[in-house]
Amino acid sequence: MIEDGALTDLIRAELPDAEVGIFDRTGTMDHFNVTVRSVAFRGKTLIEQHQLVYGALKGALKDGRVHAVELKTIVAEG
Amino acid sequence: MNYKEEIEREITENAIVVYGKGTKSMPRCGFTLETIEFFNRFGYPFEVIDVLENMPKREALAELTNWPTLPKVFINGKFYGDTDILGPMAENGELQTTLQEAFGAPPAVKETIDLHQ
Repeated sequence: MIEDGALTDLIRAELPDAEVGIFDRTGTMDHFNVTVRSVAFRGKTLIEQHQLVYGALKGALKDGRVHAVELKTIVAEG
Repeated sequence: MNYKEEIEREITENAIVVYGKGTKSMPRCGFTLETIEFFNRFGYPFEVIDVLENMPKREALAELTNWPTLPKVFINGKFYGDTDILGPMAENGELQTTLQEAFGAPPAVKETIDLHQ
Protein backbone atom coordinates (compact mmCIF):
# COMPACT_ATOMS: atom_id res chain seq x y z
CA MET A 1 0.00 0.00 0.00
CA ILE A 2 1.37 3.39 -0.95
CA GLU A 3 0.09 6.96 -1.22
CA ASP A 4 0.00 8.60 -4.65
CA GLY A 5 2.45 11.25 -3.44
CA ALA A 6 4.97 8.68 -2.24
CA LEU A 7 4.69 6.78 -5.50
CA THR A 8 5.28 9.98 -7.46
CA ASP A 9 8.31 10.76 -5.27
CA LEU A 10 9.82 7.34 -6.03
CA ILE A 11 9.49 7.95 -9.77
CA ARG A 12 10.83 11.51 -9.53
CA ALA A 13 13.86 10.28 -7.59
CA GLU A 14 14.92 8.57 -10.85
CA LEU A 15 13.24 10.92 -13.33
CA PRO A 16 13.23 14.39 -11.74
CA ASP A 17 11.26 16.06 -14.55
CA ALA A 18 8.56 13.39 -14.63
CA GLU A 19 4.89 14.26 -14.82
CA VAL A 20 3.15 11.37 -13.11
CA GLY A 21 -0.48 10.36 -13.40
CA ILE A 22 -1.74 7.73 -10.98
CA PHE A 23 -5.01 5.86 -10.90
CA ASP A 24 -5.80 3.37 -8.14
CA ARG A 25 -7.40 0.50 -10.06
CA THR A 26 -8.81 -1.42 -7.16
CA GLY A 27 -9.20 1.10 -4.34
CA THR A 28 -6.63 -0.88 -2.35
CA MET A 29 -3.70 1.44 -3.08
CA ASP A 30 -1.49 -1.31 -4.48
CA HIS A 31 -2.78 -1.88 -8.06
CA PHE A 32 -2.13 1.20 -10.16
CA ASN A 33 -2.38 2.62 -13.62
CA VAL A 34 0.65 4.85 -13.89
CA THR A 35 1.38 7.30 -16.70
CA VAL A 36 4.79 8.96 -16.78
CA ARG A 37 5.93 11.73 -19.09
CA SER A 38 9.63 12.56 -19.11
CA VAL A 39 12.39 13.88 -21.37
CA ALA A 40 14.52 10.95 -20.16
CA PHE A 41 12.49 8.67 -22.46
CA ARG A 42 13.77 10.43 -25.58
CA GLY A 43 15.64 8.11 -27.94
CA LYS A 44 14.74 5.07 -25.87
CA THR A 45 12.68 2.04 -26.92
CA LEU A 46 9.39 1.42 -25.13
CA ILE A 47 11.00 -1.41 -23.16
CA GLU A 48 13.87 0.84 -22.06
CA GLN A 49 11.38 3.55 -21.02
CA HIS A 50 9.45 1.07 -18.89
CA GLN A 51 12.69 -0.31 -17.43
CA LEU A 52 13.56 3.21 -16.24
CA VAL A 53 10.27 3.52 -14.36
CA TYR A 54 10.43 -0.03 -13.00
CA GLY A 55 13.96 0.74 -11.80
CA ALA A 56 12.45 3.51 -9.68
CA LEU A 57 9.68 1.23 -8.36
CA LYS A 58 11.86 -1.84 -7.78
CA GLY A 59 11.93 -1.52 -3.98
CA ALA A 60 8.20 -0.84 -3.65
CA LEU A 61 7.38 -3.82 -5.89
CA LYS A 62 9.75 -6.07 -4.00
CA ASP A 63 8.43 -5.26 -0.52
CA GLY A 64 4.82 -5.44 -1.73
CA ARG A 65 3.81 -1.79 -1.25
CA VAL A 66 2.99 -1.94 -4.95
CA HIS A 67 1.52 -5.19 -6.23
CA ALA A 68 0.77 -4.43 -9.87
CA VAL A 69 1.31 -1.60 -12.31
CA GLU A 70 -0.16 -0.95 -15.70
CA LEU A 71 2.34 1.46 -17.12
CA LYS A 72 2.25 4.01 -19.89
CA THR A 73 5.22 6.17 -20.80
CA ILE A 74 5.13 9.34 -22.86
CA VAL A 75 8.18 11.06 -24.33
CA ALA A 76 8.17 14.73 -23.31
CA GLU A 77 8.86 17.07 -26.22
CA GLY A 78 10.75 20.37 -26.20
CA MET B 1 19.56 -25.77 -10.05
CA ASN B 2 20.75 -23.03 -12.36
CA TYR B 3 17.64 -21.04 -13.22
CA LYS B 4 19.40 -18.84 -15.77
CA GLU B 5 20.22 -21.94 -17.84
CA GLU B 6 16.68 -23.27 -17.44
CA ILE B 7 15.25 -19.93 -18.65
CA GLU B 8 17.69 -19.80 -21.59
CA ARG B 9 16.57 -23.28 -22.61
CA GLU B 10 12.86 -22.45 -22.29
CA ILE B 11 13.08 -19.26 -24.34
CA THR B 12 15.15 -21.05 -27.00
CA GLU B 13 12.83 -24.05 -27.30
CA ASN B 14 9.60 -22.02 -27.54
CA ALA B 15 9.04 -19.13 -29.94
CA ILE B 16 6.66 -17.42 -27.49
CA VAL B 17 7.08 -17.84 -23.74
CA VAL B 18 4.95 -16.15 -21.10
CA TYR B 19 6.26 -16.35 -17.54
CA GLY B 20 3.27 -15.71 -15.35
CA LYS B 21 1.18 -16.63 -12.37
CA GLY B 22 -0.83 -19.79 -12.97
CA THR B 23 -1.26 -21.86 -16.10
CA LYS B 24 -3.00 -21.40 -19.45
CA SER B 25 -6.07 -23.30 -18.24
CA MET B 26 -5.94 -21.78 -14.77
CA PRO B 27 -4.40 -18.30 -14.70
CA ARG B 28 -4.02 -16.96 -11.17
CA CYS B 29 -3.50 -13.30 -11.93
CA GLY B 30 -5.50 -10.82 -14.01
CA PHE B 31 -2.47 -9.69 -15.97
CA THR B 32 -1.47 -13.27 -16.80
CA LEU B 33 -5.02 -13.95 -18.02
CA GLU B 34 -4.93 -10.76 -20.10
CA THR B 35 -1.66 -11.86 -21.70
CA ILE B 36 -3.04 -15.33 -22.51
CA GLU B 37 -6.12 -13.75 -24.12
CA PHE B 38 -3.86 -11.37 -26.00
CA PHE B 39 -1.86 -14.21 -27.59
CA ASN B 40 -4.96 -16.33 -28.22
CA ARG B 41 -6.01 -13.65 -30.69
CA PHE B 42 -2.89 -14.16 -32.83
CA GLY B 43 -3.29 -17.89 -33.43
CA TYR B 44 0.35 -18.85 -32.86
CA PRO B 45 1.26 -21.51 -30.31
CA PHE B 46 2.68 -20.11 -27.06
CA GLU B 47 3.96 -21.54 -23.83
CA VAL B 48 2.87 -20.29 -20.39
CA ILE B 49 5.27 -21.12 -17.58
CA ASP B 50 3.94 -20.79 -14.04
CA VAL B 51 6.49 -19.20 -11.71
CA LEU B 52 4.05 -18.05 -9.02
CA GLU B 53 5.53 -20.31 -6.33
CA ASN B 54 9.10 -20.26 -7.60
CA MET B 55 10.72 -17.19 -6.01
CA PRO B 56 14.33 -18.04 -6.98
CA LYS B 57 13.32 -18.39 -10.62
CA ARG B 58 11.33 -15.15 -10.46
CA GLU B 59 14.41 -13.40 -9.10
CA ALA B 60 16.58 -14.89 -11.87
CA LEU B 61 14.03 -13.63 -14.42
CA ALA B 62 13.92 -10.15 -12.89
CA GLU B 63 17.72 -9.96 -12.95
CA LEU B 64 17.92 -11.18 -16.54
CA THR B 65 15.38 -8.65 -17.82
CA ASN B 66 15.73 -5.69 -15.45
CA TRP B 67 11.95 -5.96 -15.13
CA PRO B 68 10.41 -6.62 -11.71
CA THR B 69 6.82 -7.63 -12.55
CA LEU B 70 5.06 -10.68 -14.02
CA PRO B 71 4.03 -11.61 -16.63
CA LYS B 72 7.15 -11.42 -18.74
CA VAL B 73 7.01 -12.26 -22.44
CA PHE B 74 9.83 -13.58 -24.62
CA ILE B 75 9.55 -13.94 -28.40
CA ASN B 76 12.32 -15.77 -30.22
CA GLY B 77 14.48 -15.57 -27.10
CA LYS B 78 14.15 -11.79 -26.87
CA PHE B 79 12.44 -10.01 -23.98
CA TYR B 80 9.34 -7.98 -24.88
CA GLY B 81 8.05 -6.89 -21.47
CA ASP B 82 4.29 -7.28 -21.03
CA THR B 83 1.08 -6.22 -22.76
CA ASP B 84 1.85 -2.55 -21.97
CA ILE B 85 4.61 -2.95 -24.60
CA LEU B 86 2.97 -5.59 -26.81
CA GLY B 87 -0.36 -3.73 -27.09
CA PRO B 88 1.13 -0.65 -28.80
CA MET B 89 3.35 -2.98 -30.90
CA ALA B 90 0.24 -4.83 -32.09
CA GLU B 91 -1.47 -1.55 -32.95
CA ASN B 92 1.34 -0.37 -35.22
CA GLY B 93 1.83 -3.81 -36.79
CA GLU B 94 5.34 -4.33 -35.42
CA LEU B 95 4.27 -7.35 -33.38
CA GLN B 96 2.66 -9.10 -36.36
CA THR B 97 5.96 -8.75 -38.26
CA THR B 98 7.95 -9.99 -35.27
CA LEU B 99 5.68 -13.04 -34.92
CA GLN B 100 5.79 -13.87 -38.62
CA GLU B 101 9.59 -13.75 -38.46
CA ALA B 102 9.63 -15.88 -35.31
CA PHE B 103 7.43 -18.56 -36.84
CA GLY B 104 8.51 -18.15 -40.45
CA ALA B 105 4.87 -18.21 -41.58
CA PRO B 106 1.46 -16.71 -40.90
CA PRO B 107 -0.55 -18.53 -38.23
CA ALA B 108 -2.23 -21.79 -39.20
CA VAL B 109 -5.82 -21.20 -40.28
CA LYS B 110 -8.34 -23.28 -38.42
CA GLU B 111 -10.05 -25.76 -40.73
CA THR B 112 -13.73 -25.19 -41.24
CA ILE B 113 -16.31 -27.69 -42.40
CA ASP B 114 -19.10 -26.59 -44.69
CA LEU B 115 -22.23 -28.31 -43.42
CA HIS B 116 -24.30 -27.20 -46.38
CA GLN B 117 -22.35 -29.07 -49.00
